[in-house]
Amino acid sequence: MSTATLAQGAEATRTPPRRRSRLNRGGTTAWLFALPALAVYVVFLVYPAVQSLYFSFTDWDGLSATYNIVGLENYTSMPSDPVVIQAVINNIIWTIVTIAFPVVIGLALAMLLNGKVRGKPALRMIFYTPAVLPLVAVASIWGWLYNPQFGAINTFLRDIGLGAFAQPWLGQDSTALAAVMVPAIWLRVGFPMLLYLAALQGINADMYEAATVDGASRSQQFWHITMPSLRPAHYIVIALSLIDSFKVFDLIYAMTYGGPGTATQVMGTWMYFNVFQYYKAGYGTAIAVVITVVAIAVSIPYVRSQTKEHAA
Amino acid sequence: MSTLGASSVEQPIAALPDATVAPEGAVAREPKGKGGIVMTIVLALVAIFWISPLVLLLITAFRPLSDFLATGSLSWPQAWTLKNFTDAWSIGNFATTYRNSAFLLILKVPVGVLISAMLAFALAKLRIRFGTAIMYTVFLGLTIPIYITIVPVFVMMRSIGLSDSVPGLVGPYLAFGIPFEVLVLQSFFRQLPDEIIEAARIDGASPWRIFFTLILPLSSPALVTVLILDAVSTWNEFLFALILLSSDANKTIPVGLLNFQGQFSSNQTGLAAGILIAVIPILLAYLVLQKWIVGGLTAGATKG
Repeated sequence: MSTATLAQGAEATRTPPRRRSRLNRGGTTAWLFALPALAVYVVFLVYPAVQSLYFSFTDWDGLSATYNIVGLENYTSMPSDPVVIQAVINNIIWTIVTIAFPVVIGLALAMLLNGKVRGKPALRMIFYTPAVLPLVAVASIWGWLYNPQFGAINTFLRDIGLGAFAQPWLGQDSTALAAVMVPAIWLRVGFPMLLYLAALQGINADMYEAATVDGASRSQQFWHITMPSLRPAHYIVIALSLIDSFKVFDLIYAMTYGGPGTATQVMGTWMYFNVFQYYKAGYGTAIAVVITVVAIAVSIPYVRSQTKEHAA
Repeated sequence: MSTLGASSVEQPIAALPDATVAPEGAVAREPKGKGGIVMTIVLALVAIFWISPLVLLLITAFRPLSDFLATGSLSWPQAWTLKNFTDAWSIGNFATTYRNSAFLLILKVPVGVLISAMLAFALAKLRIRFGTAIMYTVFLGLTIPIYITIVPVFVMMRSIGLSDSVPGLVGPYLAFGIPFEVLVLQSFFRQLPDEIIEAARIDGASPWRIFFTLILPLSSPALVTVLILDAVSTWNEFLFALILLSSDANKTIPVGLLNFQGQFSSNQTGLAAGILIAVIPILLAYLVLQKWIVGGLTAGATKG
């Protein structure tokens, strides 16, 4: 201890006390720390992303040694591809539905859990369980429930005398997309619930007491105390859900394979089909570029806020 | 709504920063009285409904197929069996897919967390040039869909002979794990006081020594959380595995499960057993480690 204080005294005369980590001012050590992760990140993420951008300007089939530069042709032909139109619409529906339902249900559950309830940890754990499962397993479970002949859903409908409503949920255009969104909602409720619960526990109970004294009703308290206090949580939930919903692939691939026909195609699956089924790697990567640009554009405010918060 | 004046609306917002600092005990409401019981029952019913697909899966997996077909999927089983599991295990090739997924987990997760922690340390505690630019680039990775990299990664792996091999997945998995890990870890490191680092440095400790003997041990809660979450997402990853792995001997659990699902489409009880085999490790891990997962997710998103 005494040596430390001595050394500190000596140090203080040589260096301005505000400066920390003066050892690394040259940055060499700092860069050695940063290098492994940055190298992996650049080699396997940044570089491939840039390369995809290049491929998107070609007519490459993904196999041949040669290809031609076709400029923007892959992009300009997209609007005349009916499946792209379908996929974009599906992506939009998917985004709205799989954000709105989990956010509303998650908030409702969080508010109930924040009240006078026993067994909170167990309940919280149950609602989050679907989120830890592999998406392929979620797809298998729901495919199993939706099985037209033996699945629990149609069996239930028949058991309660609504057999007329039993139908091939995943096998017909009219219900396939909705049927795939149900498991997405099922597994996505847990995350907003956790975030909202944490945020609700941070609201000072005195505010509700004061509001009650002032004669504010429950709904007034909700709209004027709870909702404003949850604003940061709303922001994070919606930003992260938005990022997530653009990446949809696993559930659709494993449950419907984009079908029946192209009824459940989204941009992600359509990209995959073009590259790996139809050998149109150039066109496929162009679709990937579009998804990425939209995803980045939408989430830039979030990334900025995270960076600013930490850089400050 | 309008009875609350504008001034009383602003007060709560202004009071927010205090609210988050207030100790949890001050705001926790005691669960007591009848209201608590009614609410608990309502929530318990919702929870049972929510978890019912998994419960049904569990029950079905232990009943003979003949019993399932005779009395329907929602009836209580008249007999029990383990045959579904033995059938599913051998036909689903789970011995192989388990081994591959476990191998990948052991190879990828510790390395990923270590290099992420190193980068996070450089960003949080060392004066690194272009720190903000690096942070921005890395955090942007959170939003980048895997699609944008799959074609070049596939080409890259094919050209170095690592397509259709489990180690070939490590690089892409590391790259897509880094943004989240760095985000959480650097925000945790930032909260460690500079004074302890300064003191160690003055004692003559090198940055490496400080990192390994001071920062990492002090950050074990954050490290455990990141390790667990990374393990879960590695175990569950599907798209890269689907694209890069082609032979049965190299498939991971999610890809193997997809094949299995196709093969067992007419054997509903065997299918249930196979799905359970695929998810049991993750469910058990979640049961045991849920405190870390739940806490980590909330911290990762709000602080992070």
